[in-house]
Amino acid sequence: MAPTVTLAATMSEEFEYHPELGRKVPVGEIDRELRRLWAEDDARTNASLINLAIYTERRGALVENSQAIRELTREHACRALLIGINREAPEASIEAWITAHCHLLNGQKAVCCEQLAFALKGRATGRLRNTVFAHLNSDLPLTFWWQGELSPIFTERLYSLVDRFILDSSEWADPVSSFARVHEAAAQSDELIIQDLSWTRSYQFRVSVAALFDDPVASAGLSSISKVEIVHHPKHRMAALQLLAWLSVQARWRPGMELSLADARRTDETEGFSFESREGVAVVASLRASESSAPLGNLSLEGEGLKVEVHREAGSDRLSRRLDAPGHKVETHGPVNSDDSLGLVGEQLSRGGKNSLYRKILPRFLTMLSEHDWHESGS
Amino acid sequence: MSETPGPRMSNPFREDLVSRSRPQPCTVVIFGATGDLTHRKLVPALYNLAVDGELPHGVKIVGFARRDKADDEFRAGLEELNRKVSRSGHDDELWGNFVQSITYHRSEFTDADGYQRLSERLDEIDRECGGKGNRLFYIASAPDFFDDILENLKAAGLNKASDGCWARVIVEKPFGTDLATARHLNEVVSRTFEERDTFRIDHYLGKETAQNLMVLRFANSIFEPLWNNRYIDQIQITCAENLGMEGGRGGYYDTAGALRDMVQNHLLQLMSLVAMEPPTDLSADGVRDEKVKVIRSLRQWDTPEKVAKNVVRGQYQAGYVDGESVPGYREEDRVDPESMTEAYVALRLMVDTWRWSGVPFYIRMGKRLPKKATEISVHFKSPPSVLFNTQGSSAAESNVLVIRIQPDEGISLRTVSKIPGTSMRLEPVKMDFRYATSFGKGSPEAYERLLLDAMAGDATLFARRDEVEEAWKFIDHIEHAWHESEEPPVMAEFVAGTWGPKEADDLLREDGHAWRRL
Repeated sequence: MAPTVTLAATMSEEFEYHPELGRKVPVGEIDRELRRLWAEDDARTNASLINLAIYTERRGALVENSQAIRELTREHACRALLIGINREAPEASIEAWITAHCHLLNGQKAVCCEQLAFALKGRATGRLRNTVFAHLNSDLPLTFWWQGELSPIFTERLYSLVDRFILDSSEWADPVSSFARVHEAAAQSDELIIQDLSWTRSYQFRVSVAALFDDPVASAGLSSISKVEIVHHPKHRMAALQLLAWLSVQARWRPGMELSLADARRTDETEGFSFESREGVAVVASLRASESSAPLGNLSLEGEGLKVEVHREAGSDRLSRRLDAPGHKVETHGPVNSDDSLGLVGEQLSRGGKNSLYRKILPRFLTMLSEHDWHESGS
Repeated sequence: MSETPGPRMSNPFREDLVSRSRPQPCTVVIFGATGDLTHRKLVPALYNLAVDGELPHGVKIVGFARRDKADDEFRAGLEELNRKVSRSGHDDELWGNFVQSITYHRSEFTDADGYQRLSERLDEIDRECGGKGNRLFYIASAPDFFDDILENLKAAGLNKASDGCWARVIVEKPFGTDLATARHLNEVVSRTFEERDTFRIDHYLGKETAQNLMVLRFANSIFEPLWNNRYIDQIQITCAENLGMEGGRGGYYDTAGALRDMVQNHLLQLMSLVAMEPPTDLSADGVRDEKVKVIRSLRQWDTPEKVAKNVVRGQYQAGYVDGESVPGYREEDRVDPESMTEAYVALRLMVDTWRWSGVPFYIRMGKRLPKKATEISVHFKSPPSVLFNTQGSSAAESNVLVIRIQPDEGISLRTVSKIPGTSMRLEPVKMDFRYATSFGKGSPEAYERLLLDAMAGDATLFARRDEVEEAWKFIDHIEHAWHESEEPPVMAEFVAGTWGPKEADDLLREDGHAWRRL
């Protein structure tokens, strides 16, 4: 991997300076200071394909996100906008820092990406749209990575500016209400691309299932599938639910009549669902949480004499894909999705696309989520 | 549980998952499995696809060659090369899993019995995989054996697929050595496989920038309105190589030459992508219908005089490349000391269509040039000389759009800008887009994309029969003039490590042009 340097670290100390965020600048002087930044250094290639904003309300995350941008810009040239929000601060203030992350190639600063960091406090958080978005690189799309729980700042006024909205539902304490807001945003804007990192976590599992059902034996046995089991880490229930929603939508399974019956209720570790296939076969699905599991640890589908399984050991860098039928056993490997959010964001940026499949499964997923969380809160 | 399934059923889990034609599981049979192409390109490409999870589940690979080898010996040889050349590196465990899908089948290419045994083996693989199977035959052998392989495949019934399955063939270059042999080979292929199941590979078309050509032209509204003879002055396509005949390649090269080895296929394919009309759709035939019209519209250089006027051939003399002393072409290993094979060729082409009337396309390809570079440059006409260059400043530099194929894939646009100051001085500046800079990671190897396309039945990036034959028809006139006329055009000379012979510079100078400096 090519080494990186931070452009601002090479400069004089005439400005207040943060070792990670770079040079502190007055908000009204950002553009001028950016020009100076480039003029003072011998870096010549300013690369940018997108505006990438990272939004956080967590203390100290601004610096962590700057480190994340340094990693991301190895493969994704962007203008980075880091936004740190403290809504509870008594005084209103806005601070800004600029720097650039440069990646060395053959000993030279070959490619540099600008980073603007903003800390908005108190009532100044209401100036997010005016202050921060005034510094977008024009004509380039805006990818907005929202970290943590959705807050009142997530409104139509915000997401109407965004092309690609990245969130991580595994971080949400109240997924039902947060997803309701996401669903509302999706309904209001057909153009908004929503990318839930929980959904990204299941990508290689979905690819593996598709690959296994390319096999004629598995394909022929699909209509006989009657049992589905998913094992997941407790933190990644959303990924497991979305994986199950995808399976049921793609296989054209209808929600089963007994969905609201006792056997479908949720316990601490296990929750159950039932579906009915087009051929009338009852499909019982269970999700089991395990502390020792990878984010998604195991998916198995069983039918008449057929078992299709995708498995990942915690910490392993590959998936095991297994197909087991009489006289026909196959095992291959596949790549895994990254375990951390940063890696998943990188994967999403590489893959691009409209994410229409997510919109397709979202209604089923929301139904499954609300049914179960309703039971939990009602029991 | 049902018994052996019949036709392949649709897989609902594939729907909406990836935005590309879906490659299907198959058994890949590689003829010429002990050769360099298999070891350096094909198997590493399949391995990388497996590592990326792109290779369809259940793909098996059978290496077919003449040498006596056991499976393990064959696999060991593949592993040795994969460690050196694999794009994604070499992981022992992943390789260990992948290599289980590879077996070796020893047979002479001419031995009918060997194909019968192959057929039985493929049936056995299909049974192990649980059903009737798709077959992809990759002919990577020496061209002398193409006929034998195709005819024996037919005799063994391997050209026909079971119900609901397919049998396809990929044919490597050279696809013939002239129009007659290409037609003959096409006849043999078409007697054996349907055209829709025939994939004539041209790995240049699998390169990212080549694929991006259509995107650049037809997904950006600013270029297409200018893409004609009103605004474009000339187009140059350069394929420069700094290598000579290392590694014994002189033996083949001296029988082919630059024109047949590179121009007939790769460079005419690139040119047709640059010059074609917008296709009605992105189907394989939609695109190829337009490409073949370009080749068909080439003005024919059908007399020695026309060839002498429009084509320059050359050989390099001893010189220096990258600071190293290198021999002249005729002193190279396995090259005839009296060889009349060109190691350099430059052509002026005219596409006689409404769009391109009067716009020359210059193509040059050479060995032992100063560096390795393949690019297309589109030179726009200069603006009317009524404003800036009447005031002592030079606006002679026209706009140039450069599409770099390799290395450093990308696109640049040269524009003219005012130099800051009180006087009106103009200088060219360059806007540059580099894949590596913007995307930060390497593209898949061309063979990876093309193998997946063949497994998916998508022939868009493969040459069709009529494209190949039209290209040979054009090339044959030149070869005839060089090798069969009473007064053949001269063989120009240049010093290795320079940009080709003076005659090639003169070719453009006649039109008031010059080769772009790379």
